[in-house]
This record gives sequence, structure tokens and C-alpha cells, in this order.
Amino acid sequence: MKNQWIEFLFGRVTVRVAGKGTERFINILIRNGLHIWDVKRHGTETITFKMRLQDALKMRKYARRSECDITFLQRSGAPFLLKRSLKNSGFIIGAAIFLFLILLLSNVVWGIEINGAKPATEHQIRKELDKMGVKVGKFQFFIDNVETIQKKLTNQIGALTWVGVELKGTTYHFQVVEKNQPKAPEVLSPRNLIAKKEATIVNYYVEKGKTVVDVHDHVKVGQLLVSGLIGKEGEEIPVAAKGEVWGETWYRSQVELPLKTKFYVFNGKEQQKHSILLGKWEIPIWGFWTPKFKEFETEENIHKIHFLKWDLPISMVNSTVREREEVVRTYGVQEAFKIAVELAKKNVIKNHLDEEASIKDEKILHKSIVDGKVKLEVLFIAVENIAKAQPIPKETQMNDGKAKNN
Amino acid sequence: MAKKWAGRVRQWMAKKMDLPQDVMMDLPRITMIGQIHIYIENHRGLLTFTDKELRLLLKQGQLLIKGKAFVIKTILPEEILLEGKIDQVIYINENSGGTK
Repeated sequence: MKNQWIEFLFGRVTVRVAGKGTERFINILIRNGLHIWDVKRHGTETITFKMRLQDALKMRKYARRSECDITFLQRSGAPFLLKRSLKNSGFIIGAAIFLFLILLLSNVVWGIEINGAKPATEHQIRKELDKMGVKVGKFQFFIDNVETIQKKLTNQIGALTWVGVELKGTTYHFQVVEKNQPKAPEVLSPRNLIAKKEATIVNYYVEKGKTVVDVHDHVKVGQLLVSGLIGKEGEEIPVAAKGEVWGETWYRSQVELPLKTKFYVFNGKEQQKHSILLGKWEIPIWGFWTPKFKEFETEENIHKIHFLKWDLPISMVNSTVREREEVVRTYGVQEAFKIAVELAKKNVIKNHLDEEASIKDEKILHKSIVDGKVKLEVLFIAVENIAKAQPIPKETQMNDGKAKNN
Repeated sequence: MAKKWAGRVRQWMAKKMDLPQDVMMDLPRITMIGQIHIYIENHRGLLTFTDKELRLLLKQGQLLIKGKAFVIKTILPEEILLEGKIDQVIYINENSGGTK
């Protein structure tokens, strides 16, 4: 059998031949190399058959010599389809524009939702997003990917502990956790202040309560500093003690610092590459050359193209190749010690001290150089608030109440 | 006379050399698939075609096919594929000249 598709491609026509000698006419046609198929007889003097469009043009020559009437009944195949679609090209253009528009609009940011943020923080986030270009009505191709947005937001806005960024369809969802959660209303139940660290007291400031200790006193962990029971002896009223007790505390810190350190830095040279990812095939659009960098890191930014709610298997890839260099940092011995002390200080502050505390003094207990590393043991003397609230048990209060009644 | 001799030589060669007879002797080769298809090679032209009858010219004599609902699926100078319900395939020899 012949290939139907080739016939479809070049077009085919249905021909009706009426008259005497139809068989002879067919013989003439086929002997001259015209292809004919689906020959059917309708009545005594009529037959219909199908033939190629090109052959139909040639047929005229033979038809003139025969005594048959020829009528074309049906035209089908690609040329006719094309002709008709050209006539109705408005529809096709419309359909194409429609699809293109949907594709385009599916890749536009249509909403930004921020959850869990105070109005002030939300405003800040929105401003920051505006700066980054994340706005309603922007194309997603030109926006950083979700991870980068997340990173940038957390870096730029101090009030944020964590931001969950999620792109659902055309809407960005931000789940925000703020550092400064609204403070719980202070519990004003009766309480004492006790020491949370072993310290020597240097100063105190008590708003409410009875101070039990004095300057230069050495206190141990859990020792009572300010009592919440005030009033005359035997008629004490439980109150919430409030105040600050500053004490000197000691911290021992050990640090190690290598004299030579190797690390990589970017030297600012970079190259942009753009490509389209079709399934697994990557088709470069811009930036065909391979980077000439000796050492480099590649950062890939993949934007998926959406169609309505679906992800198409097509993505836009924007990769940045950055050259990096190896740098060796060398310290002199004295310098190394200095930096090590700073490091130790930072460690102590980060791990043990709060914002109000300060370091008063430091003493190097031990220093040595082993295997190209500086080893230090430093003692820090810090001044910090050592007061910690401890509720007064109910029983004591009850007893006091009774005592008062009596 | 010469034609006859050529015919004899061909027949002899076909026999001796084990060649297919249709190739050597210009005979029609007919392939049928059940009753629904008939495929004829080496015909010499269409004589009659209706939906109940197909008459083909052969090199020697004619071939008459009878049946129902005939449609010529393909027709080429020497080949024809007929579709329909085939009841009979009859050879008509010119020499006997009886079937008119």
C-alpha cells in the first residue's frame, strides 16, 4: 500500500467520471503513471476514484481525448487545509495569541502574601521585595529564585529570624518568623530574684523588693538576691521583685588559630550564560563560550515556565560563572595572638553573655604555638546582670496571708 | 514460429533453472486473502469494472472476478488490488471463445 501521509501532504482529490468507456479512461491514466485508488462504481456509467492533486492537473490532457465528463467532488489534504486556514487565519492567529498570552500571564507574579509578620515588618518586607523587583505584575523570569529571595530577605531585614518563601502558581507566599516576638505581658505574680551565675556583686538597682545582698558579696548560683516579701517581719506582703543586680563573672576560653589559612575569594570576574532547558536538553541562547577561568564556581538559577497551574518541561536557566582565587593568609606570631584573643572574646560574648553585659578585663593564662597553630587560654572578667526571677511558691504566700490575718 | 520457440525455451529454462514461472512467462500472479482481498500482478488492463464484476485483460485471455461490493483499492499499470466479497475467479481463454 502507498503511504497515506505523503498523499495527505501533497493533497488528494476525489474525481467522478461519467460516460462511456470509463474503464478505458482508467487504463489510459494508469499507463501514464497517474496514481489512482479507491475506485468505486456508482450506477452504470459513473465511477469515482481518488488521485493525487498533482496528477489531477495532468489528467486534463487525457480527459480531453476521452468522452467522459469529469467532476471534482472532494478536496482533502494539507494544501487545501492550508488554503482554508489561510482564509480563516484570524482564528489561528487568535488561538496562537491566546495560548501565548496564557503562557505569558502564567509566568507573571500575581500576588504576594505575607503571613505572620507585624504590620511594620510586613511593610519593610514589601519595600525590600520592591527593591528586589518582586512586584505584582512582574515576570518570574527576571526575578531571583526562591532560595535567593529567602537569603536576601533574611540578610537585609534584621527583624527576621526566618522567612519561608514559597512560590505557588503565580503567588509568592512568605511565612515570617520575627525575632522580636511581642513580649508576653509581664507576669506580676510574686517572685524573688536569684543569682543565675556565680559572681561577685559590683552594683545593684532594685525597683521593688528587699535587697538581701550587698556590693562585694560573693554569690553562688541560685542564691537569693532580692526577696519578694516586703513589709514588717511577720506581716510580709508578697510582691514581684524587680531590679538589676550586676555582678562580676569569670569565663575561661580556649582558642586555636592557624598561622596560615587557605581560602578562596571571588575576584569579581564573572560570566553570564542563558539557556533553555527542554527536558534534559540544554539549548544555549547566550554565552556559548566556555569560561577561561582556572578555578570557578557556577551558580545556576532555574526558572520553570508555567502554563496555567502546570509546570512545563521547559525552563529558563541563567547561570553565573565566577572566577575564584586561592588566597593564603599569614599571620605573624604577635598578630596571631592578638587576633586569637579577639576571637576568644567574641566566643565568650556569643555563647555566654547577653547584650547588656560588658567585658571588664582579660587575662592570658596560657599561650603556645603547636604545629603552626596558636593556642591560647584566656580568662575574661565580665560584668553582667545576674538576676533571675523565681516565683514564690503558693504555700509561702498562703502562710503569709494567714500571718497577715492573724 | 519464432515466438513459439522463444516460449518453449523460456519454459525449459524456468523448469531447469528453478525460476518462478510468473517471472519467466508473464503469467498473472494472484494473491487472495480470504474472500475480501484479491491482488493481481501482471495484468494488461481493465476491461470492465462494476461493483459485482471485474474483468481484466491478461497476456493470454482474460480474468473474470465475480462477487459483491467491489472497490479497487489500488491500480497500477501491472498491478491491481481489489476489495470486496469475492465469489468466483474465472479464467477465460480466448481460444475456446465460449463466454460471450
